[in-house]
Amino acid sequence: MLYDIGLTVFNGLAWAMATFLVAAGLTLIFGILHILNFAHGGFFMIGAYVSYSLMTGMGGSLPLWLYLVGAMLAGLVVGLLGWAVDALVFRRLRDVEDAYSLIATYALLLVCGGAVQLIWGLNYLGVTPPPALNSVVFVGNVFMPTFTIFIILCGVLAYIGLELFISRTQLGQLIRVVAADPWMAQLLGLNVKRIYLITVIFSFAMAGVAGALLMPNQSLSPELGGIFLLQAFGVVIVGGMGSIRGAFLGALLLGLIESFGTYFFPQYPGIFFLLALAIILLVKPEGIMGKEQTA
Amino acid sequence: MANKMNRRALVKGMAVAGMAMPFVNLRSAVAQSGPINIGVVTPLSGPAQLIGNFVREGAEIAVEHVNANGGINGREVALMFRDSKANPNDASVAARELIGEGANLQLGTISSAVALAMGSLMESEGGVVITSGAGTEKLNHENYNPHVFRVGDSPVSRNAGLVRHIATSRPELRKWGGIIPDHEYGRTTWKIFEATMRKVIPELTGEEAVISDPILVPYGSGDYRNYIAQAMRQDVEGIYTSVYGGDAVTLYQQANPFGLFDKIDVLLDSANEFLVATAMKEETPAHWSGFHWYFEANKGNPLSDNLYERYVERTGDKYPMGWAAEAHAAILAYAGAIEKADSTETGDVIAALKGLSFDSATGVRHIRAEDNQAIKNAELAFIEPSTSAPDGFEVTDYVSLDGEKVIEAARPGQMLDTEAL
Repeated sequence: MLYDIGLTVFNGLAWAMATFLVAAGLTLIFGILHILNFAHGGFFMIGAYVSYSLMTGMGGSLPLWLYLVGAMLAGLVVGLLGWAVDALVFRRLRDVEDAYSLIATYALLLVCGGAVQLIWGLNYLGVTPPPALNSVVFVGNVFMPTFTIFIILCGVLAYIGLELFISRTQLGQLIRVVAADPWMAQLLGLNVKRIYLITVIFSFAMAGVAGALLMPNQSLSPELGGIFLLQAFGVVIVGGMGSIRGAFLGALLLGLIESFGTYFFPQYPGIFFLLALAIILLVKPEGIMGKEQTA
Repeated sequence: MANKMNRRALVKGMAVAGMAMPFVNLRSAVAQSGPINIGVVTPLSGPAQLIGNFVREGAEIAVEHVNANGGINGREVALMFRDSKANPNDASVAARELIGEGANLQLGTISSAVALAMGSLMESEGGVVITSGAGTEKLNHENYNPHVFRVGDSPVSRNAGLVRHIATSRPELRKWGGIIPDHEYGRTTWKIFEATMRKVIPELTGEEAVISDPILVPYGSGDYRNYIAQAMRQDVEGIYTSVYGGDAVTLYQQANPFGLFDKIDVLLDSANEFLVATAMKEETPAHWSGFHWYFEANKGNPLSDNLYERYVERTGDKYPMGWAAEAHAAILAYAGAIEKADSTETGDVIAALKGLSFDSATGVRHIRAEDNQAIKNAELAFIEPSTSAPDGFEVTDYVSLDGEKVIEAARPGQMLDTEAL
């Protein structure tokens, strides 16, 4: 029984941190620009494909450090795409109704799918984790794949890094000011447009890095963009729209609910995430962190 | 007054008829001597385009072959493609449009939902469709419609074939489990697997099969670890799965580090053919997979050899998958039926397809008149990872089972009776 609970917690954490890695950029963009970016899954997918090309171009199974360098490069590529998206799309969405943003970012998601199809084709692709992460660790009787431990660590580090960045750095504090009141920030002489641009590039880069990090555990296909998007939106909504801490806590909560739900009621696979989402929204519609904590 | 009106009407009518007659004759002449238009309604965009591309290639290669051999009764065949998006609504619009343009004979359905929507549509619009890989058993059971034919294998022949082969070759494996997608088709495949295993194992060994509850997994998930943990807890020697496509690749990738495939003796994969192996390469778990058509199992069959060679020439891909052969077979079935009926009229073609035997890339197929279901060989291949093979995997064994021995009895209009398998 202890073994089962240990494995269920471990799997719940894996679900949570994989989802948080995707959701972090999504919630940051919403917190600062107030745009619900449906295309986030598409850029997550592009990050995964860019990393796939880098890895296979360098011979497939790579040492850990090269895999991490590949992930950073994928983040850089997707961050640059974010720059283009901000210039071409997001700037035009800042003063329009939310419905236009939803339509525009959904269209962008379709463009991402089409681009992936044109460049990488339709076939399912896959790569193996770096050899250093392709083994199993036993904690008592619970066996834990090292790649999954790595993903959990990445999620935790990403959260700590984002919290420190937002609360302890000058740029982070400027971002919070802009998120709280862009009009006042502009009056105070801040270059709001530049801060928006930095936020978009940073969020897109996080999507790209997330895609690259998670790739060895996923099949790659033009459908990948949609697979994590629903989960990521779920944790962003449960956490409180725009809150990094909320997204982290939301991911943990939903991941553990999903994991224990599947353990106790295996005949109803995949519904516990949705069920929990619905119940939490009914009980606390503003999300765990409410509206007070933006970014 | 009445006479005047009649005379005017008569004059007008004669004039209209006179103007229209040349066109009526022309259309009729074209219908009799022009190309035979066959509609292909298949996914040409979206996630299922991967499969639609195989359908397109298979149909085009078959048409090349038919036309190179003089066409059908001296008439060439032309294909008219429309995008179904694997969606019943889009497919219905496309199919109706094609019938309006004269393509009453159609093929290309790969989705069960689309195939089930085609029956009433074809009946009301006066068309006929041959599916190209749609797997639902309802097609030749409770949702049987005389306007819909399946020239590929039924889910029973595919899955019962797989089970019978493994049970016969490894009768010592009695403890089985399953990882099944939580949708209607997944549950049907499991019913067939379980019923066949419970029947065959006692026949061979005199002992009962021990079958664990299937592990149901959601469609399109990015995380299967909880389900893998469930599978690890089960005391099984073999696992059957009908998880498909990208889901199967993700599931297998995540199961590898848990050692799930080292724990069991056999993995039976109902339908992925080369989809998993081409993605995972040397990380592919060793498994038996069901195939619509495996080219090596049909080497020496000129239709199969031609289909394989032309496919590789056209695409550069060495691993064509079975949907190509299903679309190819659909064209050959239409060719056989039109020749037999000497007509392309829907009613005549339906009558000719019923009971038709025709040659295909998997050998002779026979379409049962009772339920429009073809009897064809069930093909299976054992795929193993290989560090020496250029693609990271190789097929080390394959079998082609006599279709007569693995297909269920025809029961059009009635639900599948798993007790009778």
